[in-house]
Amino acid sequence: MPGIYLHIPFCKHKCTYCDFTSFPDKLAFAEAYMACLYKEMQLRAEELRDVVFDTVYIGGGTPSVIDPAYIYGAMKQIVKHFKLSKDPEVTIEMNPGTVNEKKIATYKRAGVNRFSVGLQTAIDAQLEEIGRIHNVRDYLYCTTLLKGENFSADVMLGLRGQTKEDLRKTIEVAAGSGATHISMYALTPEDGTPIYTQYLNGELPDGDEVRELYDYGYALLKEKGYRRYEVSNFCKPGYESRHNLNYWRRGEYIGFGVSASSFFYGRRFTNTFGLDEYMKCVLSGFLPVVENEAVEGEDAKFEFVMLALRTSEGLSAAKYRQAFGSDWREDFREAYRRTERYFETEGDRTFIKDEYLYVQNKILIEYAN
Amino acid sequence: MASANKNIRNFCIIAHIDHGKSTIADRIMELTGQVARRDMEEQLLDSMDIERERGITIKLAPVRMYYSAKDGQEYEFNLIDTPGHVDFTYEVSRSLAACEGAVLVVDATQGVEAQTLANVYLALENNLEIVPVINKIDLRSARIEETKAEIEDVIGLDASEAPCVSAKEGTNMQDVLEAIVKFVPPPEGDTAAPLKALIFDSYYDNYKGVILFVRMKDGTVRPGDRIKTFLSDKIYEVTETGAFSPRLQPKEALLAGEVGYIAASIKSIEDVEVGDTVTGADRPAAEPLPGYKKVQPVVFCGIYPLDGSKFNDLKEAILKLKLNDASLTFEPDNSVALGFGFRCGFLGLLHMEIVQERIEREFNLDIITTAPSVSYLVHKTDGSEFFVDNPSHLPPAAEIEYMEEPIVKAEIYSPPDYLGSVMELCRDKRGVFKDMTYLDTRRVKLEYRLPLNEIVYDFFDELKSRTKGYASFDYEIAGYERSKLVKLDILLNGDACDALSTIVHEERAYARGRTLCENLKDAIPRQLFEIPVQAAVGGKIIARETVKAVRKDVLAKCYGGDITRKKKLLEKQKEGKKRMRQIGTVEVPSEVFMEILKTNKDK
Repeated sequence: MPGIYLHIPFCKHKCTYCDFTSFPDKLAFAEAYMACLYKEMQLRAEELRDVVFDTVYIGGGTPSVIDPAYIYGAMKQIVKHFKLSKDPEVTIEMNPGTVNEKKIATYKRAGVNRFSVGLQTAIDAQLEEIGRIHNVRDYLYCTTLLKGENFSADVMLGLRGQTKEDLRKTIEVAAGSGATHISMYALTPEDGTPIYTQYLNGELPDGDEVRELYDYGYALLKEKGYRRYEVSNFCKPGYESRHNLNYWRRGEYIGFGVSASSFFYGRRFTNTFGLDEYMKCVLSGFLPVVENEAVEGEDAKFEFVMLALRTSEGLSAAKYRQAFGSDWREDFREAYRRTERYFETEGDRTFIKDEYLYVQNKILIEYAN
Repeated sequence: MASANKNIRNFCIIAHIDHGKSTIADRIMELTGQVARRDMEEQLLDSMDIERERGITIKLAPVRMYYSAKDGQEYEFNLIDTPGHVDFTYEVSRSLAACEGAVLVVDATQGVEAQTLANVYLALENNLEIVPVINKIDLRSARIEETKAEIEDVIGLDASEAPCVSAKEGTNMQDVLEAIVKFVPPPEGDTAAPLKALIFDSYYDNYKGVILFVRMKDGTVRPGDRIKTFLSDKIYEVTETGAFSPRLQPKEALLAGEVGYIAASIKSIEDVEVGDTVTGADRPAAEPLPGYKKVQPVVFCGIYPLDGSKFNDLKEAILKLKLNDASLTFEPDNSVALGFGFRCGFLGLLHMEIVQERIEREFNLDIITTAPSVSYLVHKTDGSEFFVDNPSHLPPAAEIEYMEEPIVKAEIYSPPDYLGSVMELCRDKRGVFKDMTYLDTRRVKLEYRLPLNEIVYDFFDELKSRTKGYASFDYEIAGYERSKLVKLDILLNGDACDALSTIVHEERAYARGRTLCENLKDAIPRQLFEIPVQAAVGGKIIARETVKAVRKDVLAKCYGGDITRKKKLLEKQKEGKKRMRQIGTVEVPSEVFMEILKTNKDK
């Protein structure tokens, strides 16, 4: 079922690996920005009148850095303009260095029922090096406030000097804090970020080392009862992120806010990345879309395969047929022949064998156009 | 008998690379008013891009000029430029056959060099009168008197009247023109005799058909005449005759003794052979001119289109190059790894490089070339024998009685300081020492017998690097010798790759195999499985490296905003994959086939 994404482009301090649209120096614009965000929802209200949304995801930046009243306000706008399912999943991303009891209470009142907490690593020196504003104690405090709630913790792989021992400690902190869900990401050094220099100078663990960490973390998470349901996502049974699963099932979603992207009516479109442009546009009553392309035919089929094969549930032949009216093995006969040996099947589902999930680009490339 | 014009001078210029040949040619053209200085592209004769960039002349480019000499008479000069590099000796001999004289340019700071000698001997063999010119006298390091003495001692020419010039500054250039008038003999020949014209070059013009570059020996030819050549029965009607200005300039007729061109609507490139003789169809000459000695290619390599569907474009390109590069040989070839292409033969390594570069530039084709090879004489156990230049055509080892390889007689000129290093190199390359001569205090001439297959690998680069670029090197084929040769195969994940096979001396196989495996290991991208890279001789593995399986190749995050980006990333990678060749189960980037050419030293 379709989802809604809200982008909050503010934070206290930019992390060294971050290439998201976020403006640490423009917090003063929060009020104006949120007004625009509400307005953008209003601009979309009419066309999406009949759609029932099942999830809301408030991401950033650091959504928890702004006054929680704005989050409350945003949720009110959503309820006002759109239809939500009976039991929607509403997630907010939080930086442990920015929360208090009152904030969390407000979020809950706004309808938030899932929290995503950026732990990253349980080694304070590493947190400091990557520019995080919190330490391990902040995380523990934050999760105490979330006791009994459904929350996820983010963990990073591939930090400078990171050892298996560091990772073990991090996973133990995350699991011990009661997280129902853990995302374990490999750091991706993007051009333009401070960490990219470290990468260029060979200071970060290489692919082989990251894989070592990943395999180690995977085994540890499994031991602690977290099941892998996507390349980088693990959870206790029944705690998958519905919002994210929707992406991998090639479901529809609408994004609001600067740089937010959407997939609706078979088209993928993206809002402008400029804060000023975004606000000017919305205030003038126009949608701030800068890129907009129809995804059809082979392109759509490839997306379906590429996204489905990220997950443990894999690619369902029946769902593919439902979407495109054809057999995926027929549509990709040559690619399938070349990659068959990397797959396992269960009923109508095909998924990548465990040991190849982390090298899946080499498999997916065969299916690309 | 109507004798040829006594005021014609047909000459070429020979010089070592960098001794200033093109600059001298430019000045001569300027002085004869042929080309106004301001209109001149620098070094007009070197009309190919590659020539100008590398500062070398590959193609002959003739030009006709008129000079009013001090004796009050006007002379017609036909200058035929020549390439300087040893690989193009064939081209040189073609130009020489069209001339009566040669201007020998010697750099006053360098003296006589190996290649200068080789070309001078060629000129002398062709009975050409040689006019020495000493160039670069403007440089402070010029040693005019020593250079003159060297010309007299080493070559045996009288250099007392040699003009001393600076082509760069235009100093004393008039003396060169006067020397040409005085020393180069006028052509002989009978303008009324049956037509006899030597084809010394040709090229294809889209409008006029094949343009023949000719040196008229006897008779006259004009538009409307019916002509034929001795090697073909086809008869053509002449549509245009003319001279080179250096661009084509139509003239009413060409007479015995002149140099010019003939266009006769010749449509087929294959119908013309450089070295053949043109004669009248209605009144043919009794016999052809001697032509030139046909040269045999000595270096071979496979050339394949990077994009397999461009085979026909490649064929067209090679045919067109062949038209004005008679020394290039080729035949269709088929490789399991590389698909359809051509096996080409060249006069040397530089020639090979130039042809590859011309295909890429002038025809805009991306190509893959295999390692250079030479032609081996294989004696089979059943008594038969034949030549093989393509390693993948070698019969199984059990069927080979023995093999012979081409040997060259090499002359290396080096400052004495580097003697030890040069001798060590020659020994490493299986060279056999023959002689050593001190030419003067600064130069030693070493004579070696060397296997050609060692030279085509990396000999020249090594020689230059070991002598800081001072040594020069010349070679000629000295025949075949029995040798212990083996075929070195490369296996990728157990599958032999024909395009990577080489023929090497038994003693070198181990080292070559190791180097190759190491190079390939680094050049082959990691794939989903481990790839053993093995070198094998006669089925026995002699070296092995492993390309480890890739362990991480995934986009860690793929949420709403990442999907389009990820899709494009994979599509781009797929694009790169299309440029790869599949060898058994392994995907190999086309650059890998060049790895084998890498010159890092065998370990």
